[in-house]
Amino acid sequence: MSEQQVYEPRIVAFLCKWCSSAGSDLAGVSRIQYPPNATPITVPCTGAISPMYIMSAFNKGADGVLVSGCHIGDCHYIEGNFLARRKMKLIMELIEFIGVEPNRFRMSWVSAAEGAKFAQVITDFVDDLKPLGPQDKLKKAELT
Amino acid sequence: MTKKRTGVFVCHCGTNIAATVDVAKVAREMSGEDTVAFTKEYVYMCSEPGQESVVQAIKDNKLDSIVVTCCSPNLHEKTFRDNAKRAGINNFTCEIANIREQCSWVHSDKAKGTEKAIKISRSVVRRVNRNQSLDTIAVSVTRRAMVIGGGVAGIQAALDIANAGVEVVLVEKQATIGGRMLQLSETFPTLDCSQCVLSPKMVEVKRHPKVKLMTYSEVQEVTGSVGNFRVKILKKPTFVDPDKCKLCDDCTAVCPVVVPNEYEINLTTRRAIYIPYAQSIPASYTLDESTCLGLNPVVCGKCKDVCEAEAINYDMRPETVTEDVGAIVVATGFDLYDQANMQELGGGKIEDVLDGLQFERLCSASGATQGHILRPSDHKEPKNVVFIQCVGSRDPAKHCAYCSKICCMYTAKHAQLYKHHVPDGRAYVFYIDIRSGGKGYEEFVQRTMEDNDTLYLRGRVSKLYRHDGKVRVLGTDTLSGQNVEIDADMVVLALAMVPSKGTTEIAKVLKIGRDKDGFLAEAHPKLRPVESVTGGIYLAGAAQAPKDIPETVAQAGAAAAKVIALLSQATLSRSPLIAKVRRSHCTGCGMCVDACPFIAIRLENGKAVVNEALCEGCGSCAATCLRAAIDVKNVTQLQIYEMIEACLTV
Amino acid sequence: MINIQDIRDTARDMLAKGEVRAVIGYRRGSRGMLAEPAFITDPEQANELVWDPTCFHNLSLYLVHDRKFLAHIRKNPNAPVAIVAKGCDARSIVVLLQEHYFKREDVYIIGVSCEGTGVVDERKLAPHLNGFQASNAAFDGDDFVFTTAEGEKRLPAREVMADRCLECRIPFPKEHNAVFGEDKTGRQLEAPFAALTRFEAQEAGARWDFWSHHFDRCIRCFACRSVCPMCYCDECVVDSITFPVTHETTAEEKANRIRWIERSATRSENITYLMTRAMHLAGRCTDCSECERACPVNIPLRLLNNKMEREAREQFGFEPGASIGGQSLVASFLDKDPGDFIR
Repeated sequence: MSEQQVYEPRIVAFLCKWCSSAGSDLAGVSRIQYPPNATPITVPCTGAISPMYIMSAFNKGADGVLVSGCHIGDCHYIEGNFLARRKMKLIMELIEFIGVEPNRFRMSWVSAAEGAKFAQVITDFVDDLKPLGPQDKLKKAELT
Repeated sequence: MTKKRTGVFVCHCGTNIAATVDVAKVAREMSGEDTVAFTKEYVYMCSEPGQESVVQAIKDNKLDSIVVTCCSPNLHEKTFRDNAKRAGINNFTCEIANIREQCSWVHSDKAKGTEKAIKISRSVVRRVNRNQSLDTIAVSVTRRAMVIGGGVAGIQAALDIANAGVEVVLVEKQATIGGRMLQLSETFPTLDCSQCVLSPKMVEVKRHPKVKLMTYSEVQEVTGSVGNFRVKILKKPTFVDPDKCKLCDDCTAVCPVVVPNEYEINLTTRRAIYIPYAQSIPASYTLDESTCLGLNPVVCGKCKDVCEAEAINYDMRPETVTEDVGAIVVATGFDLYDQANMQELGGGKIEDVLDGLQFERLCSASGATQGHILRPSDHKEPKNVVFIQCVGSRDPAKHCAYCSKICCMYTAKHAQLYKHHVPDGRAYVFYIDIRSGGKGYEEFVQRTMEDNDTLYLRGRVSKLYRHDGKVRVLGTDTLSGQNVEIDADMVVLALAMVPSKGTTEIAKVLKIGRDKDGFLAEAHPKLRPVESVTGGIYLAGAAQAPKDIPETVAQAGAAAAKVIALLSQATLSRSPLIAKVRRSHCTGCGMCVDACPFIAIRLENGKAVVNEALCEGCGSCAATCLRAAIDVKNVTQLQIYEMIEACLTV
Repeated sequence: MINIQDIRDTARDMLAKGEVRAVIGYRRGSRGMLAEPAFITDPEQANELVWDPTCFHNLSLYLVHDRKFLAHIRKNPNAPVAIVAKGCDARSIVVLLQEHYFKREDVYIIGVSCEGTGVVDERKLAPHLNGFQASNAAFDGDDFVFTTAEGEKRLPAREVMADRCLECRIPFPKEHNAVFGEDKTGRQLEAPFAALTRFEAQEAGARWDFWSHHFDRCIRCFACRSVCPMCYCDECVVDSITFPVTHETTAEEKANRIRWIERSATRSENITYLMTRAMHLAGRCTDCSECERACPVNIPLRLLNNKMEREAREQFGFEPGASIGGQSLVASFLDKDPGDFIR
């Protein structure tokens, strides 16, 4: 088997505990299957996600980074996702600007009721990452 | 800093986890972690022996922290934190690694599933390594409650809470309390008069010294958290003083404005000044500002002129009232699925095709026709009536996927009521199947079929259209395999129940979750069916899911019991996972102050200071601070950093 | 046209009356024609002040140094400091005021309008001087005039002006106590973000080749950070050797510093450093371009900061340093912020 065939993108998924993490729980309860490439890190709110987390994940060799939170208007903390939307837009633009594939970073709104959507978001992300191959632009040299 | 001694407890959850995750391997890998002093796997960690073994292992191995890798923290975080406490260590040094919902249940490849489970577990082990021992924060409790929605659910909850001696504010959007139940004529399976059952309760609400009733009012903003909510309510002006109004009806006689009456589901009309029902509480008229000619004596002013009691006051203005309460019950009810969605059934455009609530108003003695069943188009008594069940329900492809639960029963009731009013009439019911679980329900349906001579046809209706002054119904009887064609005088659709518009709005205001169908989400489908995900906010009635009156009343009582239990505590404990400033790093730039949604941070002598009573621990400050000078306890940037590393370790 | 004598008189008067304890301005430096920052406390020295096309430094950096020094010696300022500030510099001061770094009354802003010409870019100038060193530089209408051993050399300002000045939208220091020169806002010679737009026209692959080349060359000397008035943090989150230890620093804090990146100047670490810098300057950078000027290996840092500035402006309608009461970019939001990138 060639290396390309066994390539499985490694995704760090930052999930808001009130919606997307609960949504992924619902995907579980509903037994909706999706690829195992994304490892979840549950945070209190997307508003708590520092841009440093995204850069650090890429620096440590993540092939893709997902940020998933509550739909606008549904934030448990009223406006955390508004703050996140602005920050994540900036980091996404910056990543694309320096020539990194923009598809390596993704943001989604997945509510606690959207188990199927959560599975779809992960599935789509993995599908989009596979043709890109391993992320080695931002990754520490000693990790490759 | 001495090295942590963490215990890792890997649950098989029977085969729920063990089937797709190599639990032994997870335990083995975790024992290789620097801070892990003990690992154990067990078939059901949450069982009594499982929990005991956790407590024992903490004591025997002098563990100072534990990670339980099992199901979602929503299920057993509290269980195992309590065990940690029981074993003598701080409960906040216990964390859950979710390897069931987020792993074993969604992946079938065991090797890959195991690898992911190891990453998840390892990241949580690293997080726990930096967890501090924390004490919950004690906060005082506002010993008052609020009930939003004045239907039967809200009325019951408010009375139950008030009868326990707790003051309760009941907020209703409409001009009267009573909700949907007040619109019904009779109730199944006893056929007792709906208004006769409800009215005494409505009066009790009005008279109860512990109930503060606010009708024609809307909740606009809710801040605070469990134990201490602050609610802003918009009190809309009725322009009529309820204390002076004598209910003489002189004003409606002179009002020149005629508009459809929403309380009669548009079967009749009302004036701009009106009273919803004879039984309305508060018993007073309301002037509808949106349709009135202008609240201006120069333009009209007829109602004001004619009112001998001088109850009408055009100068009333909207008022914003603030109420402090410790708990909130949401009972905002349901609407019917819009007929316009059912194009094949006329899309709401055929006059003699009614929805269930309109039929209730036709049957009701206080309704549009004073209790005579007359069809709207020509006010003649219908001799052939077709009732159609599951309209919009149980149709995942086009409409609502769920069963609306009450339609089988109320259609049977409608058929009986019809036969009682029009004994020589013919009633047909199209159904998919009959769901009549409930005390006396099955017998009731059987009575409809047998004693009331109603023809039940198993099948769907494919089309309705106007034909020769009647409504032609094309359907199939799947039991006989025959196509059926009925020229009906009237058709009644049992439309799906959907969350009311107010439910959708209040979910946004309260920031409580909704399920895939838009109903308010309960914290746990089985174990916490009357609690929302947010502490201190409880659910009652059809806003949570379709249900009938007895169930609604039961849930309202349960919600009231939860409220009373909550408010009986002298103090509540708040999560200590709140923001903490690293003073040495803070430059006082104030970005966290701007970012904080709770106004919980202020600058004092050039440094940020967190108000522990207001901080909710959302972390907006931490992600905004350029200097990492503020962090949420036990979710620090260092912890996330190490979790990221763990997720990417091969 | 600014008469330098007006600035000198203002400075002298204020120092003589004790209204300010120092004036931060420009004077003739020791390296050819180039101006250098001057810290004047004696009224007699006010005549040393100059205003010419080489006054490119963003002096607000020294307000930061001043505050740090005062904090170090635990002294409260007894009088404000006056500072000569161009349009971009004045906006830097506004950002510092937004971030409560000092109080408005602690600073007396002597605004100077760039009057549509701006300052010189040494790298652009060099080829025009035939290898000679200029000993003097002066504004003259739309030209810059340089004095070299060959005599006077007159050059159209736009040929040797810094890119940021060509594209400058706000050459006038809106926030000021006194101001000299005419407000020539709107006289920009190139479209805003022109250099950035030219760069962005390239394919992603070419952009990556460009940036990876530059990221490889960063030696992490931190000159960009040192020269930036916005990089006033005592500890840089991506450089753990700057970790401050004060009497308030706990043992736990000492043990728990995050090593977001390694100290080695490798590509991945350089990228994370420079991207973090760009993120942290988003909505705060006022495009003074001092980082790019200070960079010893000529990394085009202005492009990164410009990119963030343009996104802030176009996506969120945000202008850095617009008003003292304004909120910072990442601590605020609008309901209409774009969200179409979110799935």
